[in-house]
Amino acid sequence: MKTALARLGLLAALVLAWEGAARAGSPLLYVPPSSALPALRDLLLLRSYPDLPSHLLLTVREIAIAYALSVGAGLAVGFALGLYRTVGRAYGPILAALYAVPSVVWYPSLMLFFGLDAASKIAFGFLLGFFPITLAVLAGIRQVNPQLVTVARAFGARPLTIFLKVLVPGMLFTLVGGLRTGLALSVIGVIVGEVLGSKAGMGALINHAYGLLRTADYVALVVLTLAVIAASDVAASLLERRAQRWTE
Amino acid sequence: MTLIAIEGVARRYQTASGAVDALRDVSLSVDAGEFCTIIGPSGCGKSTLLGMLGGLVVPDAGRILIAGRPVAGPDPRTVATVFQDPGLFPWRTVVENLEFGLELQGVARAERRRAATELLGPLGLRGFAPKYPRELSGGMRQRVAIGRALAIDTPIVLMDEPFGALDEQTRMLMGEWLLEIWRRTRKTVIFVTHSLHEALALSGRVAVMTARPGRIKSVLELPMPYPRAMESPEIVALRAKLWHEIREESARAMAGS
Repeated sequence: MKTALARLGLLAALVLAWEGAARAGSPLLYVPPSSALPALRDLLLLRSYPDLPSHLLLTVREIAIAYALSVGAGLAVGFALGLYRTVGRAYGPILAALYAVPSVVWYPSLMLFFGLDAASKIAFGFLLGFFPITLAVLAGIRQVNPQLVTVARAFGARPLTIFLKVLVPGMLFTLVGGLRTGLALSVIGVIVGEVLGSKAGMGALINHAYGLLRTADYVALVVLTLAVIAASDVAASLLERRAQRWTE
Repeated sequence: MTLIAIEGVARRYQTASGAVDALRDVSLSVDAGEFCTIIGPSGCGKSTLLGMLGGLVVPDAGRILIAGRPVAGPDPRTVATVFQDPGLFPWRTVVENLEFGLELQGVARAERRRAATELLGPLGLRGFAPKYPRELSGGMRQRVAIGRALAIDTPIVLMDEPFGALDEQTRMLMGEWLLEIWRRTRKTVIFVTHSLHEALALSGRVAVMTARPGRIKSVLELPMPYPRAMESPEIVALRAKLWHEIREESARAMAGS
């Protein structure tokens, strides 16, 4: 209760300081809460951007597709590299080298390959989400106590049973952590992709508002996008906590 | 009646510093219902031998027959294994760990739960069914691992230094407890240890292994009834004899390692 009050107090102080500073400086550039809040209201009531729902839906759909691809490919590649020693030795280093490249350098070529529409955003979201999932699978496999595999073999377990009953539960916490990071990065990939160049989606709206110096709308759009991302992360962290309780 | 026949098995491992002969020409036969202990210095290949009996390690030469049939991989209907590291599944409760083998054999949920619950009493784990391994003491964990092996009710149980990681008092109590279980179930137990005390207190026969490459050096018969008075003249004499057999091998193992 006391901590909640303390946090509210800090928040109120920050908002007031922001308001004062923005008014003292330039309200257009620093967007005080007194103009951001009405802009947010107008945004949510579809006054400023009547086609907001279709943009939001597009972004969410791009994220969903990019994430689904990241999960599918990340799990497949991670298990292939982690479970088959030859494959891991041959391709593991390549994966690590690719991961070290700052991902943004790929984006221009993705736009050239996939165009300005959703495909390039999905590709970028996939590229960002894929690595943490693959690496989490690899780390998770290494973290499973080999004695448990020996025990399962002694009890007659075949490879598929070992996979389902020993490996997956033994690495679940790490795996879910990687899936959560992957989701966050897929979201970043899609939105960065939209901001860097697109005709539709939340990133495109943000770019539009920013380009026209509609700074209050810009802030409102950013806040809304943040809220959507935060909601997805909260859902993911709840799943993660359940997995942790289960694995320990 | 001979249940287990080990016939001239050998095993060599490739390591970074060249090939290592773990076992060379090991032969031993074990009768049904026997409590047979294998004792030897560390690194003498005891665990490798047990791994072969359990079908986890393939011999380079020789063969192992169980009830007349050669071992060709793990056979959970005949052999159950208890390891020094109990290897309990941390995400499974005690009762779920006990059920593991039955689950793999496709026993129905209610049936395997009943079988596992029945074991809790003899294991001294009544009331611990819903606990997780991390909530148990070392001795309790090892009892769960033994229970997991007993649950699949095989005629043969292999034990690879099951009490090796426990403190001395717990070890002695666990030994008494294990004897009780063995006398009730009359399973054939092959028990690997490097403890003279355990070998003398528990076994009907003790096979002494040499330092690497491991061979069977000698086999001692221990016909005394249980429970054994460890200070009786017979046991003290056997202890001296056993120590005499092992001493030289342990010294060689120490010098070699």
